[in-house]
Amino acid sequence: MSELLVPFAYDYMVKAIWVSALVGGTCAFLSAYLMLKGWSLMGDALGHAIVPGVAAAYLLKLPYAAGAFFAGILAALGMTLVRTRTRLREDAVIGIVFTAFFAAGLLLISIYPTSVSIQSIALGNILGISDDDAFQVVIISVITLTLLLLKWKDLMLLFFDESQARAVGLRPTALKVLFFALLSATTVAALQTVGACLVIAMVVTPGATAYLLTDRFGRLLAISVAVGVSTSALGAYLSYFLDGATGGVIVVLQTAVFLAAFLLAPTHGLLAGRRKARAATETAP
Amino acid sequence: MTDILAALWGFVATPLSYGFMQRALLVAVLTGAVCAVLSCYLVLKGWSLMGDAVSHAVLPGIVLAVALGLPLAVGAFAAGLFCAVAIGYLKDNSRVKEDTVMGIVFSGMFGLGLVLFTKVETDQHLLHVLFGNMLGVTTQDLIETALVAGLTLAVVLARRRDLLLYCFDPRHARAVGLRVEWLHYGLLVLLSLTIVASLKAVGVILVVAMLVAPGATAFLLTRRFERMLLVAAAVAIGSSVLGTLVSFHVNGATGPCIVLIQAGVFALALLWDQVARRRGAATGV
Repeated sequence: MSELLVPFAYDYMVKAIWVSALVGGTCAFLSAYLMLKGWSLMGDALGHAIVPGVAAAYLLKLPYAAGAFFAGILAALGMTLVRTRTRLREDAVIGIVFTAFFAAGLLLISIYPTSVSIQSIALGNILGISDDDAFQVVIISVITLTLLLLKWKDLMLLFFDESQARAVGLRPTALKVLFFALLSATTVAALQTVGACLVIAMVVTPGATAYLLTDRFGRLLAISVAVGVSTSALGAYLSYFLDGATGGVIVVLQTAVFLAAFLLAPTHGLLAGRRKARAATETAP
Repeated sequence: MTDILAALWGFVATPLSYGFMQRALLVAVLTGAVCAVLSCYLVLKGWSLMGDAVSHAVLPGIVLAVALGLPLAVGAFAAGLFCAVAIGYLKDNSRVKEDTVMGIVFSGMFGLGLVLFTKVETDQHLLHVLFGNMLGVTTQDLIETALVAGLTLAVVLARRRDLLLYCFDPRHARAVGLRVEWLHYGLLVLLSLTIVASLKAVGVILVVAMLVAPGATAFLLTRRFERMLLVAAAVAIGSSVLGTLVSFHVNGATGPCIVLIQAGVFALALLWDQVARRRGAATGV
């Protein structure tokens, strides 16, 4: 029993657990919207596109969040520019821009290897996060969560029915800019926790899980955040016993919860669907 | 003039006086060519995210192959295919959108790969699997890459018209009697094989860049498919050669250099496209 409590004896573990939980919750909140709009690739793209900003910020001894945010905005501008000027499909445009940014980041790190390790950018390093970085993550998460709690109904209306949102006097463009700013900021926080390659899971999987469990958006948000917080905290805790791979553990847990929901969800699950189909054939003449 | 020629000669000849650079160049060209041909289909079909998904998903397959003493290519191929099939199954049996399902499945598998990696005793370096190890390519690696790339290229080029019809218009393909399911999974098999072939050179993370950029560049420059294949291959091979040479001189990572040059060529093509269109508009053509 006492062996299970060992992680709590270490400050760095306690810090990793609650910082992960906070980031997991924030990402999960946003995931509800991303999933509904079919913007999963956007989450992945931002996670990769901010890497050169992070690398440059460490190199120049600036706060990494500032660099990441700057790179994220540049990438978003690049994507918009290419998309409005060509007949290319959107996914190809996003694919080119984010991989180019990611490659620039990797090249920068390979030329100046002292700034930050590739491994901690690609795969996260929450167990070894410095107090400064943890502080930035907490600030980002708290601001994002506050704004989301204030604006969640407006954003919901905007994403479900833009003309209705306009009719009731919301400003769609301002809200969209706010949403993408929050998304970039959250990606920056998630990068520290699970790394560039797994950001997509944090901003997609909890929302999709909740979507299988409920039809009401308010409840969807609550379930999503609960899944995000619990899997992230538990994942960070479990990674102590694996000596690392925190991001991997968190994401595997999130995927497992999704698969459980896929199988067992009361109305939208696979088994429920089978039951319904069987009932339908039995009652049919 | 002779100075310039001498400098150029040095730029090319100095790297090539090393055996490891000769092998790197060969493997880069092979990888570039096979990725370029596939990228034409992915860009037309809107499958950029599929390339992203399958390439990340091969990680657990590689780790398990190491654990079981199988060739890496076998594990990678099986995992890539599993990912593609799982995405199809989850999409058909739940109400979650396809792009979200892709994100969930590939990030889950990638996370699983990371977790498994902590538990497997191996001489494989995680970063080499993720980012390739172009400069450490052995003659045997080169032969394996050539075999897989050659096989993939031969199959794609032999069936290029059927695949093209499937990408453009699946319904028409069905109407003329092609087996659409076979083509769908055939393309996924080819995609997995391509990623396996690219493992040594660019690794599982950057391969997605090589699977999008050449096709998108060629798409901007020509409207005929046969020409698109040629242009994409030429762009990719040229970028691979130049990227490998540049990486030697700047002492940076090779994969990112190639990807950045491909992105640069794309930017030039974009510029060319814009200028041509403006001129077309001015002369009324």
